Amino acid sequence: MIYVLYVIVSVICVYTARHYWFTLNRLFAFQRHPYIDIDTADWPPVTVLVAAHNEEKVVANILSALMTVKYPEDKMLVIPVNDRSTDRTREIIDEFVERFPGRIRPFHRKDGKGGKAAALKDAMELVETEVILIFDADYIPGAGLVKQLTAPFFDPEVGGVMGRVVPMNCGTNLLTRLLDLERSGGYQVDQQARMNLRLVPQHGGTVAGVRLSALREIGGWNDTSLTEDTDLTYRLLLRGWKTVYQNRSECYEEVPETWPVRIKQIKRWAKGHNQAMVTYGLRLLLGRHRASLRERIDGTLLLGVYIMAPFTLLGWALALGVFYQGVAPLHGIVAILSVTAYAAIGNLAAFFEIAAAVRLDGSRRRVSLVPFLILGFAVSIFAVSWAAVSQVKDALTGAEFHWDKTERFRKAAS
Amino acid sequence: MSSFFAVVGLILLTSALWLLPLVPALAELHRKSDASPLSVIQQHTGEIRFFADGFRAYMKSLEPVLRECVSSGTHASGTMPDGSEYLVLGRGEEALFLPLREQNEFRPVMIVSGSDLLLPPETNFSKDIYSAGSVIGGTKSRYRAILADHDVRLGPDSSVMRWVHAAGEFSADSGCSLCGRVSSDTGIRLSEECSFLRLNAPHIVIGSEADSSPATPQISADEPTPQRLFHDGDFEIRAGEVFEGNLVVRGRLRIGTAARVRGSVKSEKEMVLEPYVSVEGSLISASIMQIGADCRIRGPVIAERVMLIRKNTHCGTLANPTTVSAPDIQVERGVVVFGTLWARELGQVVADL
Repeated sequence: MIYVLYVIVSVICVYTARHYWFTLNRLFAFQRHPYIDIDTADWPPVTVLVAAHNEEKVVANILSALMTVKYPEDKMLVIPVNDRSTDRTREIIDEFVERFPGRIRPFHRKDGKGGKAAALKDAMELVETEVILIFDADYIPGAGLVKQLTAPFFDPEVGGVMGRVVPMNCGTNLLTRLLDLERSGGYQVDQQARMNLRLVPQHGGTVAGVRLSALREIGGWNDTSLTEDTDLTYRLLLRGWKTVYQNRSECYEEVPETWPVRIKQIKRWAKGHNQAMVTYGLRLLLGRHRASLRERIDGTLLLGVYIMAPFTLLGWALALGVFYQGVAPLHGIVAILSVTAYAAIGNLAAFFEIAAAVRLDGSRRRVSLVPFLILGFAVSIFAVSWAAVSQVKDALTGAEFHWDKTERFRKAAS
Repeated sequence: MSSFFAVVGLILLTSALWLLPLVPALAELHRKSDASPLSVIQQHTGEIRFFADGFRAYMKSLEPVLRECVSSGTHASGTMPDGSEYLVLGRGEEALFLPLREQNEFRPVMIVSGSDLLLPPETNFSKDIYSAGSVIGGTKSRYRAILADHDVRLGPDSSVMRWVHAAGEFSADSGCSLCGRVSSDTGIRLSEECSFLRLNAPHIVIGSEADSSPATPQISADEPTPQRLFHDGDFEIRAGEVFEGNLVVRGRLRIGTAARVRGSVKSEKEMVLEPYVSVEGSLISASIMQIGADCRIRGPVIAERVMLIRKNTHCGTLANPTTVSAPDIQVERGVVVFGTLWARELGQVVADL
């Protein structure tokens, strides 16, 4: 039992060090934004896919925004991927098609497998351009975003691009404010540090782009994956394509406003991530492919982030067990010093990262909400652990994954 | 009884200590003083003409005064709604003679001219300048920002702190320092020893037109082939070779004299282009890039550290403008960039690299 505990503690320490490394890099090291200066070019034709499943509340906003972006009109085609919607989504999309002839080509999917990846896979029959951008329907791209997300594709090594998402409903309640802080940490520090350090920035599947030839080379969208974005990141990496992160390519999104919706969302992410871990983990770490050593290590750690939740719970249980058995790990004093040191530094790593991100964002007073993150952390650790357990149960019983769409809270556009 | 109160007191004290760090959090949650979404750039302030467009809109209210001064040939002064002082000149050459200088510094007034504006030498202009004609600056002057409906010409050893936009041609004599955005709807010309950050125009000429030799390879407008070749370690495209497709090199890359690349090229380490190379796609280096003389590059040219461009090299074409960008850029005379030349930290025109 004690040796299992040692392993868990060691892995947690690795993640702690990683948090600090990323944060210090983001605060003090050279920041890489190699493609953000490309503002003049012979811009390539681009297809913008808008994934929409029952999105009557939000789809008009994104289509309006896309019709006003600064990109040559004759080189940009918007394809709303209306995935079996039963609300007014189709009607709204068709109104836009009429208002902007030739600029929007709708893809109305009436049946087929559920899930975003399956819908995108089917929509590919309409795509002819080398550069594809993807947005979920609740996002609102700014005027320069399409150019910014297209620019990295001038680099022949780039297969995928990821922009930054910024919650627009962050002031609604405690949950949205906590998610706003988490997003800051995740993008402003985590993703940008990975970009700086030439590690593995993660494709997020929205506010994102992918190169058609790269997508074809890796076999297209994987409709068996619950998180097609994570799946795409690793398949691109294994075939020598880079995913790059553009921290200044920001786009508003809507975050969940209720805990049940948030729990459902994070459980899906956890399951998808774990699925990718099982599929690509060993191959990434030990296989023969073009990823560098640092990409192998970082990619593996990234795959393991969600499995750390049940690991941590197991660690707590083992620590209690060891304590009540009267075992003194590592000769007592070493253990006490280690625990004290970890309590002083390690427990704060993720919070330090988020606080640094908030500061980099130029916010001031919202950083005082950081202590509340313990609440979000507690909910997440149990939700993610439960997802892992149910995933194992599903694997044993042969149950199929079910894709849950995240509920929207915005009022429908008039 | 006393032990009961002691336990309760201990619990309360512990709870209070536990809640102490949450007090600011609870206060912020209640007040929502910093609860609005982060500001996302929806209107693309990165657009090079953003400040010039803003300034033009800001001056809109001065149009009647300007018209009156132009027709009467006089000048007028006043205060904008935000409290900024302005000086409207009906005849731009008046600026040479107005008694506004205090120790080589124009009083902090915005200058608006209805015709060509002639500015005195060795003067510090700490407010924005607009001219409905051209702006002709003297030597060793310092400007905050300039907007002109025709040409802008800066005298030797002058500097611009924020931005310049000329609807006509912009030119800077030797030794000028351009610290912000410089754009022109026609063309930009920089002389020797100028430094720059961000330039944008249909064509940007370093030195004079005569410095740029036309006897160089042409670049085709064919679409580059998308096939990609990977190479771990260093790689060389031999002199005169035609390379088809996109190339990604994990080490150093050397492209030999007069080689032709029908695609885009990326190197993780140093990239060296010898003279007369033509590239039909983009050039990307994660490190240092050296571009030899008389090269022709069609697509974007990006180096993550340093870029050196030798004489007579052309980047982009008039029909297909492009971006050349690196933190540190050094260019020789005769280099022509069609589109954007952007040095994040420092760009310099040098006599010889």
